[in-house]
Amino acid sequence: MRPPLLRPPEKVVAGVCSGLAVHLGMPAGTVRLLMVVLALVGGAGVVLYGWLWIMVPTAEEQAAAGDRNPRSVAENFARYLQQGQQSRTGAAGLIGSREILIGLALLGLAATVVAQALGAQINLQLIFPFAVIAAGAVLAWSQLDASRKAGLVAGAGADRKMGLLRLAAGLVLVIAGFLLVVSGSITWDVLLAASLASLAVLAGIALVLAPWAVRWWRAFQAERAGRIRQTERAEIAAHLHDSVLQTLAMIQNRAGSEAEVIKLARAQERELRQWLYADPEKGTGTLADALKGVAAEVEDAYGHPVDFVAVGTAELTVQSSALVQAARAALFNAAQHAGGQISLYLECGPEAAEVFVRDRGAGFDPDAIPQDRLGLRESIIGRMQRHGGTARIRTSPTGTEIHLALPLAGADAPAGQQKEAENT
Amino acid sequence: MAAESIDVVVVDDHAIFRSGLKADLDARINVVAEAATVESAVAAIRSASPQVVLLDVHLPGGSGGGGAEVIAGCADLLASTRFLALSVSDAAEDVVTVIRAGARGYVTKTISGAEISDAVVRVAGGDAVFSPRLAGFVLDAFGASTTVSVDDELDRLSVREREVMRLIARGYSYKEVARELFISVKTVETHVSAVLRKLQLSSRHELTRWAAARRLL
Repeated sequence: MRPPLLRPPEKVVAGVCSGLAVHLGMPAGTVRLLMVVLALVGGAGVVLYGWLWIMVPTAEEQAAAGDRNPRSVAENFARYLQQGQQSRTGAAGLIGSREILIGLALLGLAATVVAQALGAQINLQLIFPFAVIAAGAVLAWSQLDASRKAGLVAGAGADRKMGLLRLAAGLVLVIAGFLLVVSGSITWDVLLAASLASLAVLAGIALVLAPWAVRWWRAFQAERAGRIRQTERAEIAAHLHDSVLQTLAMIQNRAGSEAEVIKLARAQERELRQWLYADPEKGTGTLADALKGVAAEVEDAYGHPVDFVAVGTAELTVQSSALVQAARAALFNAAQHAGGQISLYLECGPEAAEVFVRDRGAGFDPDAIPQDRLGLRESIIGRMQRHGGTARIRTSPTGTEIHLALPLAGADAPAGQQKEAENT
Repeated sequence: MAAESIDVVVVDDHAIFRSGLKADLDARINVVAEAATVESAVAAIRSASPQVVLLDVHLPGGSGGGGAEVIAGCADLLASTRFLALSVSDAAEDVVTVIRAGARGYVTKTISGAEISDAVVRVAGGDAVFSPRLAGFVLDAFGASTTVSVDDELDRLSVREREVMRLIARGYSYKEVARELFISVKTVETHVSAVLRKLQLSSRHELTRWAAARRLL
């Protein structure tokens, strides 16, 4: 695969040739030579160079654009901090006068060649105006690479003023140059040429404004991204204040009650985790979300941590809601009778959803449970059977595991609902 | 095993967490050095040459790569020093990044002192340590169903490996997994190590995506 076409920071004029060389896998010298040859052939190289200058982003700009869609708030926050550090340390300097001079010389050379190709006699009177035009254009075009992002983010006007100054200077130079061309040949038979020259002035203005517009648009985008980051940071601060700080205050007040403190800390952890790592692309309303909610309910009620692991995902339907309710009953049983760490595992395959609720209690004898106790018999086993699923209980002195399985195939849905109707 | 203690370097940017962890680790473990940043971690690991490094996934310093960058900086030591990643994060990319960098396991910071000591001993013995969540992630990444047909052996879990992963995800300890499947604990460890190897070497799309996004490939 070819490396992307980017203008690297190490450059002679604008980095177009070195970028091309990297992209095409050729030595930079060869590319530069080719570009010069093209420039000598009717100025095609100059046009190509200018076009690539506008269209090809710098490596720096590309990196900034790649950062625009972060995955989570936390990552965004980290990136915000990182970028803040970078822009503080790496405020790129404005374009050097050396580059302007080289560009000027190149454009001047190309202009001479064009004039020669058109059959005109090369004289100083003609070269001078073109040189002035070229100087103006180079002045304006050099803005394309001036890194103004840091200045814009900070809201400073110094760089903007410099840009306007350069724009104005460029405009004046170009117009003056074209006027010189016109005044040098003010006879009737060149009236047509003069009107053409006015058109050329307009073209010159467009030449000056094009890079400015491009530059402005890019700066605008960078500024917008910066503002979004700022907003996000404020949101994070507000959220931390409302949640974490409040909880810490509550924990300090109730430091005497261990159970209470654990419950508070766990609830806060869950809330923060949800906020930081929830994947917005996944959306809500899945089976896993419903089970997560149930696990939170049990944690809040009993203070025993529920370790939830989900594999795969499925939509929440009438049937799978029954699965969630059965899992809830199983979790409450586990928290009430066994305590300690509870493991909740959900696996959604193409055909079935399975839930395992495991505790590390002393176990029990399912047959010894009195008939009037509805928890296990009705809420778990009965409910699963009504919806076409199964519930199995394995218990031992080292813990109990309840396995709930529910077929997910769409064809089973009417049958399950019918069974439910019969029972109600 | 109980006679000789295991030298450990603790790398975490929170001093409170480091001291809490040190107090929690039992007598089998001897903390020889601590570090709080990527650079100091690499330096500490090089000078102390511990058997195990308890490594936080998110660390300041370096070029922002966190724990994975520490492992990369000590890549030549991976034969003698083993890394156990510790994190509060559940994010899949954190897990993948650090495991693919070369960590032998991933546990969350809510784990108890006894459990983490066991995990250190296990990692020091060359085995892999999977938390239920990491096992769940493996099942997710490699596809929960067995019907997926993939050519490369690295991109697919065997039926047995899948069973082991499912039990670990359900909260079973290695011993409980062994009893459940009528195999020895050593066999369970072999399966888990095989899964770890696949997790590190597989080129499955789900695994490479995060690594590529973080420019680790």
